[in-house]
Parts: sequence; C-alpha cells; structure tokens
Amino acid sequence: MEFRDYYQVLGVERSASADEIKRAYRKLARKYHPDVSKAPDAEQRMQAVNEAYAALSDPEKRAAYDQVGRGFHAGQEFRPPPDWDAGFEFSFGGGPGGQAGDFSDFFSTLFGGMGGAGGQRGFRTHGEDHHAKIMIDLEDALHGATRAIALRVPTVDPRGHVAVRERTLHVKIPRGVADGQQIRLAGQGSPGLGGGPPGDLYLEVRFHPHPRFRVDGRDILQSVPVAPWELALGGAIEVATPGGTVQVKIPPGSQTGRKLRLKGRGIPGTTPGDLYLELQVVLPPADSDKARELYESMARELAFDPRRAAGGRG
Amino acid sequence: MTDNDIVTGLVLEDAALTIDELARACGADPGWVVAHLEAGILTCVVTEAAPRFTSRDLQRARRVRSLERTFEADPELAAMVADLIDEVERLRTRLRRAGLACD
Repeated sequence: MEFRDYYQVLGVERSASADEIKRAYRKLARKYHPDVSKAPDAEQRMQAVNEAYAALSDPEKRAAYDQVGRGFHAGQEFRPPPDWDAGFEFSFGGGPGGQAGDFSDFFSTLFGGMGGAGGQRGFRTHGEDHHAKIMIDLEDALHGATRAIALRVPTVDPRGHVAVRERTLHVKIPRGVADGQQIRLAGQGSPGLGGGPPGDLYLEVRFHPHPRFRVDGRDILQSVPVAPWELALGGAIEVATPGGTVQVKIPPGSQTGRKLRLKGRGIPGTTPGDLYLELQVVLPPADSDKARELYESMARELAFDPRRAAGGRG
Repeated sequence: MTDNDIVTGLVLEDAALTIDELARACGADPGWVVAHLEAGILTCVVTEAAPRFTSRDLQRARRVRSLERTFEADPELAAMVADLIDEVERLRTRLRRAGLACD
C-alpha cells in the first residue's frame, strides 16, 4: 500500500490551521468539481481531495495521521504498525464532500476501525449506498447487454476494522435505458452494521459518444448523405439505422438539413423515442469532362441563383 | 454471491425512490429531504400516496447535498448552482444534437 500525503494533495503545509485547510479544500473542490471541471480525471482528483479533507478536517484523524505518517512521503510503501491507533477513536464516516465507500484502501486501513457510533454493541444500521458511473454504447440501450464493472467494496474484519477489496460485478443493462438514468442494484452497497441490511449500489448510465448517431433523451439523430437529385426529385433510399436497414421516402423538393422523423424507432421505452434522419446533400465532384459538362449544362439551363432565393446577393 | 453472477437492477423510472431511500442515497436524513422539498429545492414526482424520486431527482438531490456539504452552502444558493449546472447540461445537449462540439 502506498502512503498518501494528504497535505500535498491539498497543497498546504503540515502546520496549516484548520481554516487554511478548509480554504484549500474549497478552492480545489471548485477546481475539480465533476460538474464543472473539464479535466478527464476530475472525478478521481475530487475523490482524492475529499479523502484528504476527510482526514485532515477531523482533529482526531489528523492527529492519528500525523503520528503514524511521520517521515513518510507520497508513494512510499506503507504499513501501519500494529495497534498504532490505540488511544484514538474515530468512525469510518466520510468527509463533507464524499462517502466513506469512495475512499482509498490507505484511508480505510488508517481510519477503518469501527469505533465510535458504528461499533457500539446493539447498534443496527443500514449499510451505506454507493454510487458509480457506467459507460455503455447506444447499441446496449437498444438491445440490452451485460457489462462488468470493478468495484471497491469495504468489508469489516472480526476486529471491526474495515478493509477494501476489489470485486467484479456483472450487471445486466436493461433494454431501453436512457442516458442519465440510474440503475439501482439492491444490496450491492456497503454491508450493514450489527445485522442491518446492506446498502444499495446506484449506477448512473452514460453513453459513449457514437460516431454516427447522436442521442437526445430517447430520440436518436442520424445524418444521411444524399445526392442532389435525390433531394430534388424525391424517391426511396435505403438507410442503415441503429435498428437495421430501412427504406425511407424522400419527399420531392427537399432541402439539405431537412429532418425525417421515424416514429418509435429511437430508444425503446414506455414511450419510445423517435429516430430523426437529417438529410445532408453531398455534391458529386466535378472531376471529369462529363461531370463538368453536366454542371455547366445545369448552370445554363436552370438559371438558379441561391443568393437571390435566400433574399440577398451575398 | 460470486463474481460471476449477473445482477439485475431496476431503472429508477420503473421503481422510483421513497423519501427514506432518497435520503439514504444522498447520505442525508429524511428530514433534510422533506425540508428541501418544502422549500422547492428538490424535485419529485407527485403521486397519490407520497412523493417519489426518479433518476433526475436523485441526481439533483445528490448535487445539492454535495454543494451544501463541500462549501457549507446555503440551500438556496446550492439550488441556484444546481439550476445553472442543469442549464449548462441542457445547452450542451442542444449543441450535441446540432452536431457541434461542446468542449
């Protein structure tokens, strides 16, 4: 296990006052808040900051951390000596910004002793709920799937100390789940205390960006390249959609950007979403004598001025 | 249960949370949920029996709770920040829908 330098994480001196620690924490919380930060590792950074603050904002935990961590540096191999925590009393409670289950093995080892309220005889309480994000593909939502997620699960040993172990959970992704929805897995959170029931695990579903399809709620949007004559004259074209190939009729006189709505062909659900096909004209290149001749013929015969049609001379 | 078992969950829209369940999911007590509901800070689905909370309500409640605890924020201020985050998300969705990058 690697030693974590909580002072370094918060960017404060070891002699920092409680007020300085709080100010540093809030500054970093603003910087790495996952709702605001664009940094790809914002969530992990925020967790590290929450963990450091949970340790340093509690006078008992800070005193214990200072005592056991004297002489250690970040990343150094670390094992706390046996009974190092004698004389201290703290519970595994999370800090202001995080829940205990979000914290590292290092934190659990140091502060996982279920002293305090959690260890009282006859105290029965529900296990803590956990939250995680799961990234899926649009196809998973359309057809359903099973995805494996790695979880860090706190467990309590016979002496009442908490350790964290890795566990893989195979989760069934129900057909029709939408981006942003939460899946609740009953009993997959932290174990209960004193015979209490375990907590639940909530998975927030997020879709990977798709190279061809865009998702808005339950609706799916897809750009469809079309030739100028298909737009002008109309007719049936074949389109490969997320649900398979379909024949679509283009109304004559369509313009590029026109959206065709295929009702109920979006993400399934009680009220299924729609599929929108956005027609995008693609011009054939004028890279041969024949092609140039055809364009020249159109220019002569059609006398078409798109600027005039748009109401200006551009 | 072994690591190879497949677990099936419920989408919150099909089984919305009660006040107690929402409170636990936010690491709060039910009184916090009730007070914030009465103040119009949290959202819910109103049923004949009792308020129920779906995915969006849970996300908002956790966001407000986190802002209040992290910054010791006034609930109204936390609600306003949550509203602004919602608005940014809504605009980003519109940009994505239009096929535009939003970062």
